[in-house]
Amino acid sequence: MENTSTPVNITINGRELKVDEGTSILQAARQHGIYIPTLCHHEALSDYGGCRLCVVEIDGAPKLSASCVTPVRSGMTVVTENERITESRRTIVEFLFAERNHNCMFCPRSGNCELQRLAYELKMDHLTVSFSYKKFPSDITSPYMAMDHNRCILCGRCVRACTEIAGSHVLAFHHRGPKTMIGMDLQEERSHSTCLNCGVCLQVCPTGAIYNRLRSHYFVKGREHVCEKITTFCPLCGLMCPTDLLISNNQLIQVDGHLSRANGQPNQGQLCCKGRFQVFRSPAGRLLHPLVRKEDGDWVVANWQEALFLTVEKMKAIQVQKGEKALFGLASPMLPMEELILFRELMEKGLNAGYLDTFDGQHFRNLKGTFYGGAIPIRETSWKQVGKSDFILIAGGNPETSQPLLQSIFRRRFMETELRTGLISSLDDVPSFVTDFIHVPSNHLAELLRALLAEVDHLCKKEKQAGKTIGSSGSFPLLAGMGISRDAKSAFTSIARSIAEAENPLVIVDTSLTGMADSNSLNGVIDLARRITPSSKSEPNLLILKPEGNSAGAWKTGMVAQKVPDQADCLKGGLLLMGDESSMGEDILARIHAAEFLAVITPYAHKFLMDRAHVLIPKPTWLEADGTYMSLDGLEQLFRKKTIAPPEGVWATREILSAMGEQIDLKVSSKQEGLFKKRSDPLV
Amino acid sequence: MGKPKIATVWLEGCAGCHMSFLDLDEVLIDILHQVELTVSPVTDYKDYCFPKVDLGIIEGGIGNEEQLEIVRHLRRQAKIIMTWGDCAVFGGINTLRNWIPKTEVLERGYVTSESTVNGVVPIHAEIPRLLDQVIAVNHVIAVDVYIPGCPPDPEVIAYSLTEILNGRLPVLPGEMIHFD
Ligand code: SF4
Ligand code: SF4
Ligand code: SF4
Ligand code: FES
Repeated sequence: MENTSTPVNITINGRELKVDEGTSILQAARQHGIYIPTLCHHEALSDYGGCRLCVVEIDGAPKLSASCVTPVRSGMTVVTENERITESRRTIVEFLFAERNHNCMFCPRSGNCELQRLAYELKMDHLTVSFSYKKFPSDITSPYMAMDHNRCILCGRCVRACTEIAGSHVLAFHHRGPKTMIGMDLQEERSHSTCLNCGVCLQVCPTGAIYNRLRSHYFVKGREHVCEKITTFCPLCGLMCPTDLLISNNQLIQVDGHLSRANGQPNQGQLCCKGRFQVFRSPAGRLLHPLVRKEDGDWVVANWQEALFLTVEKMKAIQVQKGEKALFGLASPMLPMEELILFRELMEKGLNAGYLDTFDGQHFRNLKGTFYGGAIPIRETSWKQVGKSDFILIAGGNPETSQPLLQSIFRRRFMETELRTGLISSLDDVPSFVTDFIHVPSNHLAELLRALLAEVDHLCKKEKQAGKTIGSSGSFPLLAGMGISRDAKSAFTSIARSIAEAENPLVIVDTSLTGMADSNSLNGVIDLARRITPSSKSEPNLLILKPEGNSAGAWKTGMVAQKVPDQADCLKGGLLLMGDESSMGEDILARIHAAEFLAVITPYAHKFLMDRAHVLIPKPTWLEADGTYMSLDGLEQLFRKKTIAPPEGVWATREILSAMGEQIDLKVSSKQEGLFKKRSDPLV
Repeated sequence: MGKPKIATVWLEGCAGCHMSFLDLDEVLIDILHQVELTVSPVTDYKDYCFPKVDLGIIEGGIGNEEQLEIVRHLRRQAKIIMTWGDCAVFGGINTLRNWIPKTEVLERGYVTSESTVNGVVPIHAEIPRLLDQVIAVNHVIAVDVYIPGCPPDPEVIAYSLTEILNGRLPVLPGEMIHFD
């Protein structure tokens, strides 16, 4: 809104106020600390005017008006509270209770419900109308959210959030009159719908109609007002979304995004399924004591000193026996920088390890193996460009697995600004926001990218000559041999044109491409990004998605091996593995199976570790430790404080690594910041 | 004039409201000194031919014909009727069966439940018939005081009783109302 709007004089409850033209009565009242109850209104959403809880009296008119959708008018006199208004509000709440099943004693939202709170506030101590007892279905097909239509008050917040914030348009009102229900797509169940399980509907729902299946009743674990609210961020991917965590009794109860606060992030406070729901899942049983494997193969509980001593002694013995480079270290790129740096020091300086890597090291090496990675560092632009670019080209595949939230941003931007997004992929998974898709076998990807570059060049030249774009470069013959369909050819032209015409296009490299040792394609895509970047910019319009939460941070510590030993004789000696809760899966089996001695520092006792390891050392989860994480573009680093305490007796990771260091007279550095201070350094 | 007389009845409910009443601790003794408790589950008085009372207190929703009769009779005998708890005020947790046809409820309870062998739905002149739906007390008789809560906190119960003893009809302030 322009600041040129003239102030308007109005009177609310006898107070004379000056407010900007165009504000609603509700906004004006809130700006001046005057309370008006609301139900369908939500700060982060457009106004709907459906519930009429916010009614006020204007100029003594007999008909009350909904203040959330009534703009102020000069000279207006507003009354927000009198008997008639309260009566009207109480009647509405009574009807809402009578309409569906609001027996709070078995509702997971009780004690933390906006409808219930309003009933209390309006002193609704009984109903004057009778209940309808109409049965509505519930949908428990999603593992994350349950939807009980019997508690829905049809406020439409979820519908607006799904459209306006998630850009998903999954939710809508279905049926009419008393049969009205919130439905998904064409009346699908949630699990069969196009729902992304981002949970923004759950966060805005004022009642218990949508609730989190991965936590229990508020009554059991703590209601919102007895919980501690911690403002932090989600470290599960490089977007580092700001979050509010609710904690009660040292337990995580709820994760909320900053919907109502302008946070400058292109995701507008939305979270993804990982950050909102998957954090509640444990991948395996929690490891609470160090475990040591006996000669006969059985596990025994060991004390900390014993287990750490044994690990270091064993490592040293292997080194003596097998020579210099017989020790290895492997760490999760989900871990914070501090832990990774200590790990590196211990392994490199202390134990003279032959090889140190992260789970995602291959991505780093593939990038390093490109012309740019090798000769000139690869610079990247800020990930926040996804909110500003006017054309986006994704090379590789659906960014869903690594950065799930990007989908929502693209979908929303498509609805708002008709943002076009191209995808070039050898996979068939085409997310719904993609406007132009080229399916290309991976062995032709590099060629295709070259052809695209030529086409863009051609179009730009033409543009300069004739003042407009025309024709094609004749790169079509090139496409002929690549097994590209007719449709894809028009997508090719469309992508080239969009790039040529865009003022601020962006090239995104997905992890499915960096995961392949295909330096030609990677070179091609980096070339393309450099070509489309205006010369005035210091960084190319290039964003490389990273596989894990702190991949960028891990890469910046310099701990990722530049070269790895042959698969055949990899990691045969002693291996120290440091894991986290979410990225450590059986896919690392191939890298650890040959180890002669395997010690693991991990929060969870995964089955595959119980089968193979020799020593298991517990560690805190990310919620239980503090640490610094880096955004996926490597441009931002944030420190998060410890949220809850680890289980009793479990040492902090830093204590574990320092204790191991002391045993070999290694003083691990206490001052760590210097190691990753130069923020603008390229990652690769 | 003697002490004010009170009758309390326990209809379709879990006795939680009466437990909350007993949970008043010392306050209970004070209150009992001031009133005469006539018919009540607490006095184990099983005859529902109440005397005239000043205050009739009802816990529980109305689910069968006997309960219907009890509340009607109590209304006639009591000057003030107070409902305790969500069941009496709204129908409460008992209304879960209102979403299911009565015959199905009876079948499930007496015949198809897993532990039942050769079950039949009992019919006998002495067994009160189930109503089609559980109803809140104020949908059958006039109620003067509403104390929702599942159960209401002892403090809220104490408040309601002391207000009445002091000659006022209590209306709960917002912070004393709760539905769970
Ligand atoms: S949604 Fe709110 S009002 Fe409805 S039953 Fe749950 S807590 Fe009670
Ligand atoms: S599900 Fe929740 S947010 Fe959606 S309309 Fe119903 S009450 Fe409102
Ligand atoms: S997008 Fe990334 S940072 Fe945001 S909630 Fe999801 S995993 Fe966490
Ligand atoms: S908040 Fe204004 S109508 Fe619902």
